[in-house]
Amino acid sequence: MSRRNLFIIAFLLPSLLIMFGVIVYPFIYNFILSFSNMSLRHFRDWRIIGLRQYIKVFSENTFYVVFLKTIIWTFVNVTFHVVIGVFLALLLNNKSLKFKPIFRTLLILPWAIPQVITALTWRSMFNYEYGAINIFIAKYLNMSPVEWLLRPFEAFTACIITNVWLGFPFMMVVALGGLQSIPQELYEAADIDGASAWQKFKNITLPFLRPVMAPAITLGIIWTFNNLNIVWLVSNGGEPSDQTHILVSYVYKAAFNLYRYGYAAALSVVIFFILLVIGLYFLKKTRAVESVY
Amino acid sequence: MRTFAKFCLLFAISLLFFSCFSKNPDEIRIVIWHQKPPGEREVLESAVKKYVEKHPGVRVIVLYKETEELRSAYIISAIAGKGPDIVYGPSDQIGPFEILQIVKPLEEVFDSSFINQFDPRGLLWYKGHLYQIGDQIGNHLFLLYNTDLVQEPPKTMSELIQIGKKLTKDLDGDGKIDQYGLVWNYTEPFFFIPFLTGFGGWVMDSLGNPTLDSEATVKALKFVQDLRDKYKIIPKECDYNTADALFKEGRAGMLINGPWSIGGYKKAGVNFKIARIPKVDETGLWPAPMVAIKGYSINVNVDEKKLPYVIDLLKYLLSPEVQLEYVRQLGMIPTHKKALENDLVKKDPLIQASISQMEVGKPMPVVPELRAIWDAMRPYYQAVLGGTMQPEVASKKMQELAIKKIEEMNE
Amino acid sequence: MFNYKVKSFLVIALAYLFLILFTIIAIYPILNVVSISLRPADRLLSTSLRIIPENASLNSYIQLFTKTPFLRWLANSTFVSTVVMLTGVTLASTAGYALSRFRFFGKKAVMIGILITQMFPATMLLLPLYIMLIKLHLLNSYLGIIIVYTSTALPFCVWQMKGYYDTIPVSLEEAARIDGCNQFQAFYKVVFPLALPALVITALFSFMSAWAEYVVAAQILQEPELYTLAIGLKQFESSMATEWGLYAAGSLIVSIPAVLLFLFLSRYLISGLTLGSVKG
Repeated sequence: MSRRNLFIIAFLLPSLLIMFGVIVYPFIYNFILSFSNMSLRHFRDWRIIGLRQYIKVFSENTFYVVFLKTIIWTFVNVTFHVVIGVFLALLLNNKSLKFKPIFRTLLILPWAIPQVITALTWRSMFNYEYGAINIFIAKYLNMSPVEWLLRPFEAFTACIITNVWLGFPFMMVVALGGLQSIPQELYEAADIDGASAWQKFKNITLPFLRPVMAPAITLGIIWTFNNLNIVWLVSNGGEPSDQTHILVSYVYKAAFNLYRYGYAAALSVVIFFILLVIGLYFLKKTRAVESVY
Repeated sequence: MRTFAKFCLLFAISLLFFSCFSKNPDEIRIVIWHQKPPGEREVLESAVKKYVEKHPGVRVIVLYKETEELRSAYIISAIAGKGPDIVYGPSDQIGPFEILQIVKPLEEVFDSSFINQFDPRGLLWYKGHLYQIGDQIGNHLFLLYNTDLVQEPPKTMSELIQIGKKLTKDLDGDGKIDQYGLVWNYTEPFFFIPFLTGFGGWVMDSLGNPTLDSEATVKALKFVQDLRDKYKIIPKECDYNTADALFKEGRAGMLINGPWSIGGYKKAGVNFKIARIPKVDETGLWPAPMVAIKGYSINVNVDEKKLPYVIDLLKYLLSPEVQLEYVRQLGMIPTHKKALENDLVKKDPLIQASISQMEVGKPMPVVPELRAIWDAMRPYYQAVLGGTMQPEVASKKMQELAIKKIEEMNE
Repeated sequence: MFNYKVKSFLVIALAYLFLILFTIIAIYPILNVVSISLRPADRLLSTSLRIIPENASLNSYIQLFTKTPFLRWLANSTFVSTVVMLTGVTLASTAGYALSRFRFFGKKAVMIGILITQMFPATMLLLPLYIMLIKLHLLNSYLGIIIVYTSTALPFCVWQMKGYYDTIPVSLEEAARIDGCNQFQAFYKVVFPLALPALVITALFSFMSAWAEYVVAAQILQEPELYTLAIGLKQFESSMATEWGLYAAGSLIVSIPAVLLFLFLSRYLISGLTLGSVKG
């Protein structure tokens, strides 16, 4: 084998082994389960029953509603994460700004603190009577308090707000890193040419940011789509009335509350394929697999 | 290169270190999984410590897992042939455990003279077998009242409303209500049961079919709604933590909660007493909360060699001495006949009040279908409270959903 | 000239304004967590908005360090997370380089495949993962947990490194090879140092994916001596009797090493070793 190929293998193989090794067996197991009737009554003696679980998944109206909600959830969250993250990174990259280390450190705190306690803290901040948010709204904005956790739309919004708060530091850090790869001379040359701030951003900053942000955004979409924790904690498991669900929290309830493992496996496979389509589409659009020069 | 080499070395060393986690082969290792809240945990751990001191050669590992997680983790491990030797938890986890056949029938393991030492209410017989021996009877809701605000506990619901109205007020004139007559986690079906039973309803019949579509359900739903919207004695939004915080701050006259919370209120310095949840005027019935035991079961995977040690440890953990320690520190209701006779139990007003409530309670069903019923009740119950559904409609929908979910679960 | 000065002053002022606004939003909930940790008697909620509660006490912190195995959990987590960090950096920096510099059969499939491993909802993977680890005798060992954490962190890190390497022109390596370096030396001496900001992100991300992770750790580790911080913190939680004081105090302390790591690494994130200064 050529030296070149040996090099590639040495550099690539360990990572691939670990990444694929851990996932392959669970994935296949799950895939098989999705065609089975594994549940409480058929735990050890489950049999393959064909596509019945899939039919069940697609014949429930809630599936489509929750699917739509998940798309909205993902899109809104990632958009805010990226916009806020890049915005703050640009601010923090400004040469004439002081106290940058302090701002950087404080702004990264939402990522550093364990999610459970911050999610529960946000939940308490959304409390109708005693939560900080309603108090702020009533006192300083003179609006009437919102029933955040009692109404489905408001509860969903509360989850989104919490998740945006949790997610922007990550995008900010990635963007900051990306900004470092941009040669200063390009900006200087643009200034000499009389370019406006927007033109500089569009023609210099963006192209350099793209290859660095693309993995973060793509993975951000995937992670947000599958993020069970926040929705579960802020809405206390789907409240009000099981209306605050995204696909993964819906699966979780089915599997762990009612032991419907076959059904949950089928639903998980469906979620996977949905994400696959979205992911591939997004990759094509951002041409993320190509490089910048 | 250097960093890479350093890393490889570190990795290799750590590998060696951890593969050498050799276990002494002569030692008997018993693992207990439990979901005891802090307070009870310390009693368990010191009891285990005393046991281990008297039995060298036996090592006992006590692991805490939260209730829901305990159930799923135990199921996964036991099915895979592993798991702890002893599992402790509320009686309803036996429902799924029995179907999966992952706990041993205890009447085959302990002789009847031992089993007879326990009050029958502390034993869980299910489908003809004894699957769990409890060390406490409890898990039931009762009424707690702050003695600084409420001198005499109400005996009927109308008294409750009267007291509640007097206490619910704005203390500092800022337009917000600072003190409530009654607080409780009213969004969770488990906490709705006393009202349901107070109007004569129940969740299922003797065959396990749901009975949610009843007049009692409708009346109970209306009643809870009225407490908030008509009589205005409970907060607009109140989950478990809110109710807990309000009572601890002394801003609530009455609270509906269970024995697990007593320790926390004592610690917070609230002056309180316990009473039965007051009678419903219309029916004259005492509300009956669900009563359950929390107890020990043995994993079906425990082998013949280890079993005698496990039995010995359990006999100790269920003994009157250990049970009385729980009584002394936490006010729990014990299950051993000797412990129940003890002065500690007979002379403690909180425990006696708790027993009094328990006596009008109804045993919590153990069947796995109960979980489906909770899941069916919850969304429509919350919809009624949210004002988007009428009680009559909700009651029917709960029943429909419960039947559907049970069907799905039993396919 | 005058216009320019006013304009840039306004821009700077606005920049500060936004930064301060976002910083307040970022830290307010955390101040809440501080309040919980100082509040006596385990109350998650409070009717008052004061940051320092009445009867504030450091009791929770004292209890945390003296009466719980917190320090052991801290040591365990530090060990696990550091190993994951080192593994992540090593493997991602090399894999990303191979994907950036070489074309080979199946390259696109590999890249997309890496992303695909992230798409499956994690909750369903637990049962088979548990079975697999039992069969491999990796249950109750750090090796098992390190492998799983690395597999979760690698996809992002590999892609991220590749993307960053893509912004470094190949001409630099070509120059190095002309000077006599082989491929590995070109990588290690020329490209690797230039990718410092991306390495920082990889290190930070790998560390964080292991540091506060709970679900996998709880499944794998069965011995209290092995417990990590996340499992330890969960012990304070009990569905209806959580020791909020300890839990909040513990969470805050748990964040400190993560923040310190970021502080330490961020100077390399904004390092002067940017492309511009080296190109010539």
